[in-house]
Amino acid sequence: MKLPPFRLYHPHSVEEASRLLTELGDDATAYCGGTELLLAMKLGLTTYEHLVDLKRVDGLRGVADGSGGLLRIGAATTHHEVETSAAVRARYPEMSMMISHVANVRVRSVGTLGGNLCFADPHSDPASFLMAVGATLECQRDGQVRRIPAAGFLTGLYETALAPGELLTAVELPARPDHTGLSHRRMKLTERPAVTVTAQITMRGNAVAEARLIVGSVGIMPLAADATALFGATAADFAPRSASCAGQAAADCAPLPDGEASPDYLRHLVTVYAREALEEAFAAAAA
Amino acid sequence: MTERVQATINGGHFEGEVAPQELLLDFLRDRLGLTGTKQSCEVEVCGACTVLVDGNPVSSCCFLAADIDSREVETIEGLVGSDFHRRAVEAFMRHAAVQCGFCTPGMLLTAKALAGRGLDGGRGAIAVAMNGNLCRCTGYHSILDSLTELLGDPA
Amino acid sequence: MNAVGQSVERADGRLKLAGQAEYTGDIRLPGMLYGAILHSQAGHARITSISTAAAEKAEGVVAILTAEDLSDLDPYYGHALRDRPIVALGKVRFAGEPVAVVAAESQAAADAAVAYIDVEYEELPVAASLDQALAEDAPLVHDQVARPGASHGLGDLPDAEGNICYSYSFRRGDVDGAFADASVVVEGEYTFPAVYQYSMETHTTIAHWRGGELTLWSSCQHPFLVRQEIAGLFGLPLDLVQVIVPFLGGGFGSKSYTKMEPLTAAIARKAGRPVRILNSVNESMITTRRHNMKCRMRTAAAADGTLLGRSAEAWMDTGAYADNGPRVTATAGDAAPGPYRWRAVESAAHCVYTNTSPSGSYRAFGATHLQWIGESQLDEVARRLSMDRLEIRRRNLLRPGEEVRPGGKPLDADLIGDVEKAAAEVGWSDSSADVYPRAPEAAPRGRHRRGRGVSVGLLAAGAQPVSMATVRMGPDGSVTVLVGTTELGQGARTVMAQIAAGVLNSPVSKVVMRGTDTRYTPYDRSTGASRSTTVAGLAVQRAAQSVLDALLETATVKLETPPGLLRTAEGRIEDQGGRSITHGELVRARFGFDGGELIGHGRVQPEGGSGSYAEGPVFWEVCVAAVEAEVDMETGVITVLRTSTVADVGKAINPQLVARQDEGALLQGLGNALFEEMHFAPDGMVLNDTLLDYRIPAFEDMPASMTCTIVENGDGPGPFGAKGCGEGALAAVPAAIVNALADAGVPMNALPLTPERVWRRIQELKIS
Repeated sequence: MKLPPFRLYHPHSVEEASRLLTELGDDATAYCGGTELLLAMKLGLTTYEHLVDLKRVDGLRGVADGSGGLLRIGAATTHHEVETSAAVRARYPEMSMMISHVANVRVRSVGTLGGNLCFADPHSDPASFLMAVGATLECQRDGQVRRIPAAGFLTGLYETALAPGELLTAVELPARPDHTGLSHRRMKLTERPAVTVTAQITMRGNAVAEARLIVGSVGIMPLAADATALFGATAADFAPRSASCAGQAAADCAPLPDGEASPDYLRHLVTVYAREALEEAFAAAAA
Repeated sequence: MTERVQATINGGHFEGEVAPQELLLDFLRDRLGLTGTKQSCEVEVCGACTVLVDGNPVSSCCFLAADIDSREVETIEGLVGSDFHRRAVEAFMRHAAVQCGFCTPGMLLTAKALAGRGLDGGRGAIAVAMNGNLCRCTGYHSILDSLTELLGDPA
Repeated sequence: MNAVGQSVERADGRLKLAGQAEYTGDIRLPGMLYGAILHSQAGHARITSISTAAAEKAEGVVAILTAEDLSDLDPYYGHALRDRPIVALGKVRFAGEPVAVVAAESQAAADAAVAYIDVEYEELPVAASLDQALAEDAPLVHDQVARPGASHGLGDLPDAEGNICYSYSFRRGDVDGAFADASVVVEGEYTFPAVYQYSMETHTTIAHWRGGELTLWSSCQHPFLVRQEIAGLFGLPLDLVQVIVPFLGGGFGSKSYTKMEPLTAAIARKAGRPVRILNSVNESMITTRRHNMKCRMRTAAAADGTLLGRSAEAWMDTGAYADNGPRVTATAGDAAPGPYRWRAVESAAHCVYTNTSPSGSYRAFGATHLQWIGESQLDEVARRLSMDRLEIRRRNLLRPGEEVRPGGKPLDADLIGDVEKAAAEVGWSDSSADVYPRAPEAAPRGRHRRGRGVSVGLLAAGAQPVSMATVRMGPDGSVTVLVGTTELGQGARTVMAQIAAGVLNSPVSKVVMRGTDTRYTPYDRSTGASRSTTVAGLAVQRAAQSVLDALLETATVKLETPPGLLRTAEGRIEDQGGRSITHGELVRARFGFDGGELIGHGRVQPEGGSGSYAEGPVFWEVCVAAVEAEVDMETGVITVLRTSTVADVGKAINPQLVARQDEGALLQGLGNALFEEMHFAPDGMVLNDTLLDYRIPAFEDMPASMTCTIVENGDGPGPFGAKGCGEGALAAVPAAIVNALADAGVPMNALPLTPERVWRRIQELKIS
């Protein structure tokens, strides 16, 4: 399996990259590590005549501690760099753990967080995780910056909210509230995850103040499940409430046809893993 | 339209033109005659095509030759002769951890990258880190024994 | 016999660790072209037109082959049934069948040109499953009866019936009576998946015609059979077809018999230049696979656990072309009774054509298909009789010397000893949970439930026992072994050198076995069926003995000592007084100068009879394993905790390499048991044809504990009492896993045991 012919461009700034993408239109796309794009092109699932390489663009790479406990990850930061970043491990060790299971050591060494989010493969971990923590995605075009909440970034199958010529430049994780627990569970049947569940619980006193439950890899896009049933839960009643919440999430998700697993079974896995993720997040938050 | 590439390959300087769509695997095997790197699954899963770029393991089957510009590439041919390779050979020979040999170069290069990153944790951590390198012959047991000696914490 | 029995280091290990071992895909010939294949998109169709005009004009294209280029040939091949055309002739029978081949100056140019070939199909009704192919009004995959192939060893082939191209059956004893007398009857219907062998190296072939001679470099396991097939196809004397086999990156049966060689030879003939065809994984997946199967089985037993009767019928899906289907079918039929004593047995197995990609050999075929079924029924008998599962096996397993099948080789292994060893290694009977009848408090409960299983089976091994070997010793005492066994990774080059070194008492470092070149390497029937150490190795032993005889002859003269008073020492012959002459000196003395060579010849051939399947096997390969596994009752996920396999090899020429074979077979068995399955669309197209969607075992799938016990009872017909190994674990491990899962409360009748299948079964059983 070989690649079809195309032209390569190596801009040095976001503005230049953005201009190129706008001018070249639909026959062009950005790439960084290429671990998802080049594979898709080899498989004949997509094709482009122009590839805009972002690896030489200034300012897209690296992890920084922002003000007020914010964590800023450049879009062209590799998965491996995110996984091993001291700042990520300190602020969001669960993210480091989640990233360590993505694909394999080679894809993590070359593939980038931004590339993963922009490719928008349904069977994926990072987008769901970022939705659970309430991350924000910084995008730029023509010197204009806008911030899209993670929950609004993916818009469809392999589709994002990026406008033509717009680049994802950074991912920002908010300062982690006190007494917040996070859990990410994934199950794979073949190479990509079949189900992922991410739960974040924040306690105030002995009760749940905030909760997010994101089901990923099952539908076209991650599902922000309804977690309102958990608000105010305490140790005494968390178990039945989380079971109910998990059941509801399973009922609400829309499993994509999958060669390996039926929708019924995928929904069942959602109930199991959602319950486990919620319980783990709760225990971590309460600790 | 070609891409001009300057890179260090196995310690030697390379300068030349590559087609934009040329895959690093084909460039190494067909252009440079470095056939130690193997083609197997072609979808980044098996690791037989692993080479190191700036010390990082990459699937050369899904990596552009153009993207090695200004970088250092190491293949199995470059690894041979190093102290790491000597120790790896000793361990793999002692445990008979080579059968058909097709996965072997990829295993060794990945192990070198992990050593460079300071992998700690012993046998279990090595198995997890190596999970992206497939072998169909050995059942992994002898490879894991070899790598535990090669990479594991002696204490 | 110093090298024999030692775990000497692999002869090819350092070469492979340096990335310097040459595989077919590493070879570049001057002027070599690259082939790309146009694969049929239709599952069953007449080809109404092919136009290559546009493709011929594409950049870099040198030649394009279609059916019309084969009009001077009888272009059918197939060693069992000669049913396969080199390219589709007027008709395609499976989605993916080669319709045309492009040869171009680069792989990219060839791949691009394929898209410009225009083919028109008139679709025909498709029979893409066993059920469809066996239905009353099923479309026929082949409308003409295939001619028998040249080398199947199955005797006269029965007439085909509809899409059934071969059947094998036998019956002994009064089956109805046995079932009528039974206290327990277990019956069931079972399915087994299509599995892909996945060698890391895909099928690769280079063909080069020079004058009227053809040289093939190919990743093939059986070069002499390929030579025979190619010579027949192109009307050449055997001598003008040369097959050279570099290192193989795995075989496992996927590269047995003839695969891409005819197509490569044909396009090279047209192009007038060497051509290489190197399959992508998706192409190799439609080149060969394991037969999927459905099976009905019944087992009858007496109240005291004595087995009375077994009745089994199996249908093997051989795809659109037979390949090794008939042999796989016969072996499956023979595996149905298992290695047990029965009052009566009937077994039938049918090889069925379907409009899917062809099935062929994969490690432990037949046994892997049937062992889990018979063994699960035996465990069920034990459960119903509240009898210990090891005890029921002790009672009913055949003992050495007993007949396995009439007219065939009696049992040559201590199976009871083997299964007890395997069971002990997983802690059998450490807990009351293993002993049936099981106390209620020992029953598995909770979310994660554990169970243990054992399994015993036999595999008819050795194939045709025909093998020659040559051993050459030069005037420096160095030794070259020429034997046709191909190095797939199993360690042939190491073991054959050890055997010769052992006989001669040469240091192993002075003995080399080279790769096969049919022009220079003597005939060996094949590398497979666990036959190489036993059959080819025996030829090597005899050849080395012949050289040793010549050395002793010269030493007798030089030392003026009768041969009976001479003995070998390392690299020399010595007398009882301590005088010795080195091998090199002996060779030089024999010829009177620093030159010459001793050449020894060894031959293995059937002892009486024709060596056919019915008379054999050469030996019975033992398929024994025990497993401890855990099932998550909420998700259906199975974790295999401990495994033990037994390699009952008579004599382990290289113990370490024996254990390595079991380890590899174990993981393949685990994949076959837990997740490997090819999925087909309604038109027969393979849906999961890359590693993105077809999962093979990885490091994380290793059981926490894997033990291999080597049993050496000196009971093999091979050199030093050896018999082969390498396949048994693949047959036994899935069976032991199924039995462990049943022990945990979840009996299954379909493989693979995917989490969803297991979960659905749990729901069915309403286990809380």
